Amino acid sequence: MFKWKRTSILLLAAVLVFALAACNGNNGGGGNGATNSGAESADGNAVDTSEFVKISYLVLGDKPKNGQFDAALKKVNEMMKEKINAELEWKWIEWADWQTKYNLALASGESIDLITIGTDWLDTWGNAQRGAFMNLDELLPKYAPETWNSIPEEDWAQSKYNGKIVLIPENDYTQWVNHGFFYRGDWAKEAGITEPIKDWEGIEKYLRYIKDNKPDVIPWDAASGTQTWGGFVQSYTDQLELPISTGFLPVFTTKSWDERFAVTSPIFEDVFVQYATMMKSWADQGFWREDALNNKGNNRDALKAGLSGLDQHHTQTFSGLRVEMDKAQPGSELQMFPFSRTRGTNLMELSITHGGTSVGAHSKHPERALMAYDLIRNNEEIYRLINYGIEGVQYEIKDGLRTRPAGYDEAKHGYYSDFWGGRVDKFEIPSDTSWDQIDETLYAEYEKIKKQYVYGQFVFDKTPIDAELTAISQVTGELGPAIVLGKVGDPAKAVEEFRNKLKQAGYDKVLAELQKQLDAYKAQMGE
Amino acid sequence: MDDALESRSIRTDLSGLVVKIVGYLFIGLFSLCCLLPFLLVLGTSFTSESAIKKFGFNFWPREFSTFSYKIVFENPDLIVGSYLVTIAITVVGTSIGLFLVAMTGYALQRQDFEYRNGISFFIYFTTLFTGGLVPFYLLVTQYLDLKDNYLAVLLPGLLSPFLIIMMKAFVKSIPHAITESAKIDGAGDFTIFIRLILPMTTPALATIGLFIALGYWNEWYNAMLFLSPDMKYRPLQLFLYNVITSADFVRNSAAASNVQLRDVPLESMKMATAIVATGPVILFYPFVQRYFIKGITVGAVKG
Repeated sequence: MFKWKRTSILLLAAVLVFALAACNGNNGGGGNGATNSGAESADGNAVDTSEFVKISYLVLGDKPKNGQFDAALKKVNEMMKEKINAELEWKWIEWADWQTKYNLALASGESIDLITIGTDWLDTWGNAQRGAFMNLDELLPKYAPETWNSIPEEDWAQSKYNGKIVLIPENDYTQWVNHGFFYRGDWAKEAGITEPIKDWEGIEKYLRYIKDNKPDVIPWDAASGTQTWGGFVQSYTDQLELPISTGFLPVFTTKSWDERFAVTSPIFEDVFVQYATMMKSWADQGFWREDALNNKGNNRDALKAGLSGLDQHHTQTFSGLRVEMDKAQPGSELQMFPFSRTRGTNLMELSITHGGTSVGAHSKHPERALMAYDLIRNNEEIYRLINYGIEGVQYEIKDGLRTRPAGYDEAKHGYYSDFWGGRVDKFEIPSDTSWDQIDETLYAEYEKIKKQYVYGQFVFDKTPIDAELTAISQVTGELGPAIVLGKVGDPAKAVEEFRNKLKQAGYDKVLAELQKQLDAYKAQMGE
Repeated sequence: MDDALESRSIRTDLSGLVVKIVGYLFIGLFSLCCLLPFLLVLGTSFTSESAIKKFGFNFWPREFSTFSYKIVFENPDLIVGSYLVTIAITVVGTSIGLFLVAMTGYALQRQDFEYRNGISFFIYFTTLFTGGLVPFYLLVTQYLDLKDNYLAVLLPGLLSPFLIIMMKAFVKSIPHAITESAKIDGAGDFTIFIRLILPMTTPALATIGLFIALGYWNEWYNAMLFLSPDMKYRPLQLFLYNVITSADFVRNSAAASNVQLRDVPLESMKMATAIVATGPVILFYPFVQRYFIKGITVGAVKG
């Protein structure tokens, strides 16, 4: 017995020592690597490119299998070799369990030169905190001068962690991912709706018309998982959504643009009752299937087949869908009612750090990596090769539009590079697969009311309220779907139950913590 | 005497019949329960996506379509390569793993092995406490340097504490006297193991071998972590998983705002991949089933 005990204690001790040693070694290594290489490169004067190096670029996506990407990259690399004596290498993180793989790749201390980042979906600030990225303040002006000069001071300010630049934002690329309803212009006209729809009552009228006049069509073939609550808030309040996930339904918002650091929740306001009542009435009118809560179908396919009259997604999706619909349902004149249209006040731009590029803390060639990045972003030929492929194979330009060349076969010539780390509008060629009027219609409308994204640098530390947040997510997941699809007996009661459950889950505690952290953020932003 | 015998045999016949009927009925129902879902999967995999949407899953495809198989087999050389990789890993891994597990199990129950409890504990300990994902990842990629190496998939599956404990329990049923008698005849430890112990444990080996083989056949997580897309051929399950997740992701994720949509029959494709993945196992199963059943019964009687 004694012997056994001693053995096990020894074992435990050995395990602990080993674990500690491993941790230490890793941390130390990470920190040193970053500071050393930073210092060295700043000291050197001339850029030494005598040694040929390979620059790896971590991207998210499945590696294309038809060899077209390799062909384009080969052309890029010929130019890279000539200009900076380096070669680019794409490292793909596939969609299967991408969060784990991405974070592991950053945590492992592997030498990665360039890394795709996204503050709102790739936990970039968390990784910055863990020391995954190199400080770029000194490197940028020297090795990526064009990029450095083209990005304004205030955008660099949004790229800082603890006062140091850790990423290069995708600040010069227009993409709108604000949500809205898509409805068919032809059916709206039949329904007597001549003006663009600008509120949910308009949508109701449209759906009612379909219900009454088109027996084969489900007005909106909503599937399980449909969530429109965020959109309703955007339509009928000035509250801004916070980048904090509370599961199925967004719970926390800030009061308005003017009071953008004051946390509140629309769930506890009348607007939630209005929403629940409206959805109940829509469900009762049979706008969607009786079993919508279990419906796993794809509404978008139904829309394209003319079997559904409404869809809900963001502007970027609409832009492509409009073109598809013009082909699939000629004359359908698909329209979008962006939720922000109702009041015309509530629209924030996409965070400029939704996409971007960082340099890995363990990169062996950060100088050359930045030089390569500077070329991708600022050399038109390289930019187009990477983003569109080879001219004549993947695309040709007709009347200023990017179209498919004759003989183009999607399986054989399909191309994508998943480069989301610094696209720029100036090199983009509009494609014939996106709606050609998007600029003068929706974009123009957004331009007038848009506000800058303000939570790009807000790093929400979940640790103090992790349990409560999980509980809240459970409540929204459990009670939310029935409210959204109107499958409740009495909306007011359902709302009341929802609120009570939220309170029990620790709503107040999370609210207080959130407010505390937003106050700190406000101070940090100097407002 | 004759009378008595006759009536007894009639009675046994009757009760035997009842047992038989109930038995067959039960087994029949049970196998139906196993078979039906599989047929549903098979049927669905050949149904067009629009029919699935309209009519739901069906045993008999309402609108016959092989489109999902076309997508899965889009790159035939890739899928054949994945098959070969999986088969190779399964065969090599199972043979080596079986040998190692048997050896460990045997050694750990030998009464003349002084440290058997300590080492047993060491093995058992790993089932309770593990380093977690990050240290494991670091160990494999940084210290063993096995990224993009099939060994990263092969090695972790070789020894599992659960199977070692199972083997140990089984070998225990072989009397120690056999080992001793062989020793007296001048056999070394390794000879004893190979020539005496192994032949006596075939049922256990078949059972454990099947466990290991299934483990390797279904393994995708380690492959996902350690084999990057730079490797052309990766294990089958990972290949199929990727086909599904990429389609799924493109459809559902908000982060995919950048990704081009491509029309894929997601539901029927899931079924098609399931068929592609299970097919060979079903063909292979009847051949080892014999041993498998023997292993269970022998184990039950002796254990």
